This record gives sequence, structure tokens and C-alpha cells, in this order.
Amino acid sequence: MVHFISTYLCKRIKHCIPLHQHAISCIMVFLTLIICSCGSKVARVPIPIKVQSEIDINTYSNFAVLPFVSDINNSKIDNIPVEIGSEIAQILRSKLSRQKHFKIIDKQETERLMTGEDVDAENWLTDTERLSELGRYFEVKGVIVGSYRFTTDTRPRRYYGERYSYQQNRYVMQYQDYMQKTYLILLRVMILDVDSGKIIWDEGYLQRTDEAHSLGSLVFSQMAPKETTMRELSKRALAKFTQDISPHYEKEDRFLMR
Amino acid sequence: MRNKYSIIHICFIFTLLTLISCSSHKVARVQDYNQFAIKTAQAGLWNEAIFRWKQILTIDPDNALAYNNLGVGYEALGKIEEAQAAYQRATELEPDSRYYRINYRRCRLHIRRSGTESPETDNESSDIQNEDTTRN
Repeated sequence: MVHFISTYLCKRIKHCIPLHQHAISCIMVFLTLIICSCGSKVARVPIPIKVQSEIDINTYSNFAVLPFVSDINNSKIDNIPVEIGSEIAQILRSKLSRQKHFKIIDKQETERLMTGEDVDAENWLTDTERLSELGRYFEVKGVIVGSYRFTTDTRPRRYYGERYSYQQNRYVMQYQDYMQKTYLILLRVMILDVDSGKIIWDEGYLQRTDEAHSLGSLVFSQMAPKETTMRELSKRALAKFTQDISPHYEKEDRFLMR
Repeated sequence: MRNKYSIIHICFIFTLLTLISCSSHKVARVQDYNQFAIKTAQAGLWNEAIFRWKQILTIDPDNALAYNNLGVGYEALGKIEEAQAAYQRATELEPDSRYYRINYRRCRLHIRRSGTESPETDNESSDIQNEDTTRN
């Protein structure tokens, strides 16, 4: 009896297996066809969108950019030269001059009118009366002033990676210690309305960059001048500010239907 | 008698097949134009793409897809009013399409941000805000 049943089942299975295989292959083909036919019905395309200035560019069309000053909290250990404030102002002047909506007082004129002014005074940024008065000398609608804070931060880091070990014939995990030095700059940019003496823009722009060092190179980097890094970070921060106050184009996605 | 019926049957099937083939040809043409227009749009040739979508509308004047894509084309070229009208028509024809509504809403937000809105669009922008808050 058992023999009979087993032979019967064997026969059935022998017949059934090809049927199953056919069914599976059919389903696979069907699914492939469905997947191929159901491609994305939407195409995402970026289109240019005009973004307006965040200030009233009809009113504030001409500016005087005064030298930036060091933040009160800025540590004196870094030995940052004072001229960097004037350099930051010059970077901003050149960036704003490229915008057709703004007229900027040039460097020579600014330096001429700023002769004898104590930029490093404690209340330089808070004395809006004095800044308004300077703005009236420059015959502008707005005065751009600001401060910078430059800091560095060094932390030990560990980098994990894999290497092939010929002894063990497999990839093994390994790590390497290094020092990560981070340069941070915080630019505070203010726009003062000359007529009313009110601050119409006060925004902080933070930029950072990282460097990987061994212990030896870290010591050398401590002694190296930081002006170049500061200039580069300032450029990035001021580019953001210029974008904020100028009309510009940004990309925004739209959906095209297939 | 039987032969007569069979001839009628054959004629009926033939007419049906002809109609189906005609309509499928129309759909295929629309699809071809649209595929080509999307490719040109992705390459930045928006004028060519707009021309194709307009051709689709001459074939099928109530094609919501073409109106939506036309709106995108107009918006890319900075023709905001035309874009808004096209998006509006697309959403009227197919109010359930999520993508048409997204495009239309983004266009209206763009108008509001660019500060070129009319009092009518100002009311619309408050509607958008309400819609967004209810969604959140």
C-alpha cells in the first residue's frame, strides 16, 4: 500500500514540477512587464525662480560699507591683524558693486571720509547716531557695519577603515588617530537706515572649514598665519549676505507628467 | 439569413477595430509629442517643449497633462500669468491629481514671494497658507 502511494506521489510530483516551473516563469515575466510598464509617470525638472531681495532695494539702493570690527569676545591669542576688518569690508564692497541694483561708495572715498574715526571704540556698533551722521556725510541711504569673530577648535578624531591582511587572508578593521582643526568665523552684518537711525538688518553668518592634522603638522598650523583662511571664510559668509539682499534666481522643482 | 447575420457581425467588428485603432493612434501621437517635449524641456529648450504641448492641445483640447506641462514651460520662461492660467486649467480638468496641485500651489507661492501679485492672488495666497496649515 505504502509502495503504491509513494509511486503515485512520485509520478504526480514528476508531472507537477514542470508545471510549477512554468507558472513561476510566467509570473516572473508578468511582473517584469508590469515593472517595465509602470515607469515613473512624473519627471522632475528644476526651473529658475526669481527671488526678491529681503530689503526694499528701491529705498536702499546706495550704501557705504564701513570697516568691520573684531568682536568683543574674540580672543586676542590668535593675533589677528586689525586690517582684516578693512579687508572684509572691501570684499563686501566688491561683491555688492557687482549687483546692478546697488551703488557702493568706493574704498578710497570711504578711507578719506573715515580719517580720524576711531573704529575700534567699544560703542562703534551701538552708536547709531554717529553711524547715521557718517551715512549723511557719505550721502547714502544705508550704512553697512559689522563685526567678526574668528575661532579655532581642535579635537582628537579617529578614522576607521579596512585594509586587506595577507596573513589572515581577509579584510581587517583598522583605525588611525588624527587631530581635526576647525576654523570658524561668525560675521555679524548690520544695515543702518541713515534717515531714521534704525537698524534694518542684523544677521549673523557662520562659516567653517576643517583640516586634518598629525601632531606635528598641528603645531606648525598653530604658528601659521590665519588671514588666508579668514578671507576665504569671509567671502563665503558675505556671498550669503549679498544673496539675501539682492534679487537672485534659485532653482525649484516642478513636475512634468509623462 | 445566417450568412447575412455573419456579414453584419464582421462589419461591426471591423468598424469597432477601426475606431479603436484610430483612438489609439491619437493617444500614441499625444504620448509621442509629450515624450519629445519632456526631453527637450530637460535639455532646457523650453520654447520647443511649449510648441509640442500646444500641439497636443490642438489634438486633445481637454488634456490636463498638456496644460500642466505647459504651465511648467511658461513658468520656466518667466511667463507667470500664462503659467498660472495653464495650471488652473489642469487642476480644473483633473482636480484629484496631486502633482498638478503641487505645481499650481508652488506657482502661486512664487507669485506671492516675487511681490507681483494682484489682490485676487493675495486672497489665494491666504488660501494656500490655510491649506498648508491644515495639511501640517
